[in-house]
Amino acid sequence: MNPAPTNDNPFAGDNSGIQQRETAARWALRVGSYIVVLITLAIMLHIFIKGAPVVFQSKWPFVNTQFLTELPATLHVIEDQQGNHIETDVNGADAVKKKLGDNFRSEKTVSYSGGGILGPIVGTALLVIVSVGVALFLGVACAIYLSEYAKHGKFLEMVRLAILNLAGVPSVVFGLFGLGAFVLTAPTFVDVPADRSVFSIPLGFTTLSFEGWDTCVLSGGFTLAFVILPVIITASEQCLQAVPQGFRETSMALGATRWQTIRYSVLPFATPGILTSSILGIARAAGETAPIMFTAALAFKDKLPWQKDLPPLPADASIFAHWEQSVARFLGIFTESVQALPYHIYTLAAKIPQNEYAERAQYGSVFVFLVLVASLAASSVMLRKRLRAKYRW
Amino acid sequence: MNSLPTPSRPPLRSVLLRSRKHTILGFDPQKLIKYFFGSNASVAIIVLVLIMVFLLREGIDFLPTYQRELQTYRRAGLEFCDIIDQPLQKNQTLSSSLRQALSASLETLSKTARDRRDAAFLLKRQVEDKSARPRESLAQALEKAPQDPGQIDVLRRELGAATAAAVKAVDYPELFTQAEREQLEREFAALTPEVTDLPPMLQTLVEDFNVKDREAKTKFADLVTAQEEFEEAAEPLQEVLDELKAKALETKEKAVEFEVLETNRQRLLEAAATESDPKEKASLTKEAEESVAETVNLEESIKEITGRTAELREQVEKYAVVIEKAAADLPKDAGTGAARKLVNDVREGIPVHAREMRAAAAKLEDWHWDKPVSIFSVMGAFFFGTQWITNSSWQDFFGFVPLLTGSLVIAAIAILIATPVSVVAAIYTNQFASEREKELIKPVIEFIQAIPSVVLGFIGISLVGNLIKDVSEWSWLQWVPGFPIQERLNMFNAGCLLAFMAVPTMFSLSEDALNNVPRAYIDASDALGATKLQTVFRVIVPAGISGILSAILLGLGRVVGETMVVLLVAGNRIAIPDFSAGPGVIFQPAHTLTGIIAQELGEVSRGSSHWQALFMVGIVLFAISLLVNWCARAVARRFEPHKA
Repeated sequence: MNPAPTNDNPFAGDNSGIQQRETAARWALRVGSYIVVLITLAIMLHIFIKGAPVVFQSKWPFVNTQFLTELPATLHVIEDQQGNHIETDVNGADAVKKKLGDNFRSEKTVSYSGGGILGPIVGTALLVIVSVGVALFLGVACAIYLSEYAKHGKFLEMVRLAILNLAGVPSVVFGLFGLGAFVLTAPTFVDVPADRSVFSIPLGFTTLSFEGWDTCVLSGGFTLAFVILPVIITASEQCLQAVPQGFRETSMALGATRWQTIRYSVLPFATPGILTSSILGIARAAGETAPIMFTAALAFKDKLPWQKDLPPLPADASIFAHWEQSVARFLGIFTESVQALPYHIYTLAAKIPQNEYAERAQYGSVFVFLVLVASLAASSVMLRKRLRAKYRW
Repeated sequence: MNSLPTPSRPPLRSVLLRSRKHTILGFDPQKLIKYFFGSNASVAIIVLVLIMVFLLREGIDFLPTYQRELQTYRRAGLEFCDIIDQPLQKNQTLSSSLRQALSASLETLSKTARDRRDAAFLLKRQVEDKSARPRESLAQALEKAPQDPGQIDVLRRELGAATAAAVKAVDYPELFTQAEREQLEREFAALTPEVTDLPPMLQTLVEDFNVKDREAKTKFADLVTAQEEFEEAAEPLQEVLDELKAKALETKEKAVEFEVLETNRQRLLEAAATESDPKEKASLTKEAEESVAETVNLEESIKEITGRTAELREQVEKYAVVIEKAAADLPKDAGTGAARKLVNDVREGIPVHAREMRAAAAKLEDWHWDKPVSIFSVMGAFFFGTQWITNSSWQDFFGFVPLLTGSLVIAAIAILIATPVSVVAAIYTNQFASEREKELIKPVIEFIQAIPSVVLGFIGISLVGNLIKDVSEWSWLQWVPGFPIQERLNMFNAGCLLAFMAVPTMFSLSEDALNNVPRAYIDASDALGATKLQTVFRVIVPAGISGILSAILLGLGRVVGETMVVLLVAGNRIAIPDFSAGPGVIFQPAHTLTGIIAQELGEVSRGSSHWQALFMVGIVLFAISLLVNWCARAVARRFEPHKA
């Protein structure tokens, strides 16, 4: 409470119209900004309230391990005559029905809503690993060129324009591109080229055929890599630019070559920044749905990527055969299509009839997904802040 | 520099320099490293080019394919039938308006009776639902061959208790008096599985309604007959048209089958020509000869259709005369104001409809089955076509306009909401907020960027949709056009979520723009004695307007290209929104450019016209994104303040 203004003080604020208008406008602006903040917090709170009970529980171990460690499955809900609902999976349904006998009343199945979400989590992780690997390699190399080598000219301008435009391409167009380029055209080694092969180069022992990789982790990962490429390039270039010019000059003055300068005086100081910023790229890659819809994602799969059926080896198989099979199993991870969290959420939200059981699976998945993505983004922001404090030139 | 005396140590210098000169395949390694990075930098360019190449490779054949399909559409006579069929669709709309008017009129008399009947039935169902479990048990026990009276007794008692509880639990609307309510309660309590007749009270209510309905129908007899007359008028015409349509469809199917077999034969012959093994060659040739299809004589079959032009025209004329008479017979008065308006609309609509039908009939004479379809008309059919119909048994149409309208309306809603919010937030954060406020507002808004779009789409389905629907039912908001809304998932819902998504982009870019305003401008304004508010709105914002505008454009690009939110939330109805509804149009569902690709591409076979059409949509989207980017850059350059 301000004391009432007196006429004694010539410097006291006056309550004229201008000042009132000033305060009113300031408050209007403030309210406008806080509306956004409040809406964001409200959405987070809503997901937390509805999603946390699915993932956490009040008993030890406090986390719903089934939800996090099982593959998605069809949920069977069996009702008995007393109105009790028993939830079970496809294998347990018959046993429950037998046990109930005459007491059985009705059975309801809810697709994708039983079990857990391990499959989607693993699939998303694989996609992120491939895409971030590819995007980091290309993006950092590009950023090094832009920041260390490039001179003003046509080429540089074109590159910058291309990066800007790439950042604006709709994600579903990236999906179409991935479908055309990686799923249907990318080169692969096969014994006999398929009919759809664009052209093939015989190499003697095998054939390099441009017939595509089919829908698989690799196709999806490469597609996502180009979605996040502009993000990675921009962030890396900023980190490289932040290294003081003096470091480079000192190194060059000592007679180091351009590459030695980059290798020993620029990259070591820029790498932590590049890595933390690329976490944002990870968050983006994990969150995109449209690019993987046609290139990698499946609505339902009852196996993890490495649980592939391979022909059993004979008992006397050589160690080489074992080794070969392990390699095949490892490579098989990347040539399988997978479930992915965002696509799983899309399936749950749009492709199945809505009821309480589906809703539980939806909010649980959304909650886990959001926690993963948000913690990535938050850790990126926090690490960047700490780095800034550490490297203060 | 040359005039300076050079140091007299050339041997050492050259030795030092030479020792470094490794070469790899004759190239300087430093150069190679530079080229390596340079080539990586060109990846962005290459990817852009590749996107274009692959989109064009899959999509460019669309025009010739669609041209062929439209050609068949014309030659088989489907187009001929559509000339009459398209305007005849109006008959449905008009007659549904009439039906609405009629039921509104009838309701003036029978509404209470009907409401009472419906409410009683609803109550009965509620009671039965609530006591469903014991009811079923009892029914089962009664069905068993040797009845167990003891068990049945127990079950009966259980059912009685459950029903009594249910009867108490349901809400009785105000429509019933206290006495009626008690009677209903008594009758519901007596419901057991053996009773098959309706409770007497319900029977009375049904009878009441029937009496009232008859009464109403006699009162509005004019309207009833006019409506029936109008509905029956189209029947003879429809009959002739259906015959023609069946014939045309048969021809089309034959023609398509012939084409498929023919291409297959050509492919086999080609394979035979290149095959070196004589045995294989013989078998391929034989197979090719076997698959010779029966050629379709389009001219013959089209004659059967065009031969009936006169008959068709006659039917159209008859139809026009009958509906004009029906229009004249339409009564002046109807039960309510709304019904009167509907009847008036129909009365005005019918002559227009009749005129259209006559014009269409006249067009039949000008129609030629072998007029070629030009590539320009195919482009017109795609870019200005108003129908996107796929998997149709009649004819697939790929018209782009419904999708474009949906995308544009949603984008407009999103930008209209997001612009003020994000610009206000940018101005406040940049100019007024304290450090602590900045530390709250900025990270929260930037965090929005990290929320995956599919999560926001899910929020739209589960939270925002219901919220908007509930709000639209509040009585004091009924003045808002379009309220109460019909669909939970609509363009406004999608627009709100997209606005939310666009806020971080627009906020950060606008804030950058405000930050870049030269310090001297602000100092000068302050020195002239301007208040803070004056400085902000008369100096800083105008100086940063180029950045703000380009931020809005980039936000627009993001909104148009967003897929998951519109796919989940926009309602996915492929039709041009009905703009005659005024501003309420934003509460209608629609489909979008991005949504259609995501929804349909997974289900079509590669190389079909539908597949190619979806890639064409992708090409257009790509072009739009490039255009928006270019505009944003142009705007940023155009309005750039001349920095002193």
